[in-house]
Amino acid sequence: MTPALAKWHKYRAVGIIAVKQQLHYRVDFIVRALFLLLILFIFIHLWRAAYASSGSETIEGFALNQIIWYLVFAEAVTMACPQLCVRIEEEVKQGEVAVRLIRPIAYNGFHYMTYLAEAGLRFIVQLAAGSAIAWAYMGPPLFGWGWAGLAALLPGAFTVAFLLNLAVALLAFCVEETRGMEFVLQKLNFTVGGMLLPLELMPDWLERVCGWLPFQAVLYFPARMGVAFDGGRLAAFLLTQWGWAAALAVLCAFIYRRGVRKLNVNGG
Amino acid sequence: MLALEVEGLVKTFRVKRKPEGFKASVRSLLRPEWTEKTAVAGIRLKAEAGETLAFLGPNGAGKSTTIKMLTGILHPSSGHARVLGMVPWKERAALAFRIGAVFGQKSQLWYHLPPADTFELLSRMYELGRADYLRRRDELVERFELGPYMQTPVRKLSLGERMRCEIAAAFLHRPDLLFLDEPTIGLDVIVKRRIRELIAERNREEGTTVFLTSHDPSDIEQLCRRAVVIHHGTVIFDAPVERLKREVLTCKTVRLKLRDGARLPKKLPDGVRAAEAGPSAWRLSVDTTTASIEDVLAAFVGHCAIEDMTIEDPPMEDVIRAVYEGKAEGRPAEEGTV
Repeated sequence: MTPALAKWHKYRAVGIIAVKQQLHYRVDFIVRALFLLLILFIFIHLWRAAYASSGSETIEGFALNQIIWYLVFAEAVTMACPQLCVRIEEEVKQGEVAVRLIRPIAYNGFHYMTYLAEAGLRFIVQLAAGSAIAWAYMGPPLFGWGWAGLAALLPGAFTVAFLLNLAVALLAFCVEETRGMEFVLQKLNFTVGGMLLPLELMPDWLERVCGWLPFQAVLYFPARMGVAFDGGRLAAFLLTQWGWAAALAVLCAFIYRRGVRKLNVNGG
Repeated sequence: MLALEVEGLVKTFRVKRKPEGFKASVRSLLRPEWTEKTAVAGIRLKAEAGETLAFLGPNGAGKSTTIKMLTGILHPSSGHARVLGMVPWKERAALAFRIGAVFGQKSQLWYHLPPADTFELLSRMYELGRADYLRRRDELVERFELGPYMQTPVRKLSLGERMRCEIAAAFLHRPDLLFLDEPTIGLDVIVKRRIRELIAERNREEGTTVFLTSHDPSDIEQLCRRAVVIHHGTVIFDAPVERLKREVLTCKTVRLKLRDGARLPKKLPDGVRAAEAGPSAWRLSVDTTTASIEDVLAAFVGHCAIEDMTIEDPPMEDVIRAVYEGKAEGRPAEEGTV
């Protein structure tokens, strides 16, 4: 077996076991799905009222069904993302990080694979739950190539989400608490990341600001491309997404190297 | 050949001081005060390949911190160490292929999945060939008698079953050096004995160097040939286990629960002291240099009706105290060779 193939098998095995473990959290799946249904139910009625009062079929080029399906995609991605900061902080506090660090596998790589595996599985479940209500109210998601655009942008979306969270989570190697920073990160995703509405619907100045931030790559890019495919912008989105991924990967590697030297593994 | 070589290893931590009281807490929030805590204070140690070494000390002595530095998990504040010819904290990934570790209080098994899944994952992590992995897994399953548990979710296993799986998993990639940090903690006597036998067997058959920390003197007596005792981060005793047994582990505690109305013999055997420990219950201290435990038991069984009886080793704290009091004079690490 070549070293590259052995590495591939190694990280693939981490992904497989993470999916297997995740399949045991049925209650978590159900609770999240029910919560998503509730949120979407409320938003469907809010947006219906907004469109009715505007007297127009579209707002900034988006029809009502596009906005609702945009929410489905964005919420499905949001709710699919595992709580990496909580996990790494607990690993450090409980001393479990020792078990990770004695393995011949990159610490960040291990968490990347578990994150992708869990997020992928959860996304499918959340998408199915969200689709049920959106389909019932808005009709089928006939977005043609939009589905391909969504699929193309999802790996990058989860990668950027992982790296943003990892950059904060790794601070647990040197500081006592990361939850505050995670809270801010989460709220930035919700607001300037375009979870509640596409960036086009924001004031121009804010849309321009959002364009310079990495948060758009997580929710806005895949959800926007899913409901309104644009081949020209897809390439730009992919490029921006993976550009941010590369920059954040460098940042995470730097934080990890600094952090692991200061790590205090608790417990016997 | 040396499996590990440690010279002047030091690890200090910055610990936040949190004074009592609300005002002090607020002040600490604005202007935190830090103190430096020395967990390991210049340890010097060598171990030959194939050795079984007990690394002992009370809680907070620096045992786990030392193991974490030797496995590359922690960076030392100063000092040098080479494990299997590598500097652990600089070559952690390469070293990981050649060492194994079991932390008694931290599981490496995936909680909801059967151990078979973790074994499969580990085979990929350690890049074992498929045929080699399957052969090795089957061999360990047979030797550790894991057949009935391999397909049972870890959460459904007892502590003893889980620990057997943990140790077997640590042997999967045939490590040259195995660190065992309290592997028998919380286990019953029979499971402990079986685990010791299995570790000793791997050491004998595969030449695996064993570096063991434990609070249980029986682990050391039955598994290790050399004992290193540390306290406050420094080595205070380094000698063969035989010497530790001869000079320190010379006392056993026998707890007797007598049947109603039964009494202890009027004359106790030499080397035995008795203290009442409740109604019809006695705590006997047996000096094994004077009386063999078999003879003492025979004397009591022949003279009084016994309802229940247990034999205990002295707690590790007593061992350390005895070393401190100079009962045993093991070579300090600075002077001895291994």
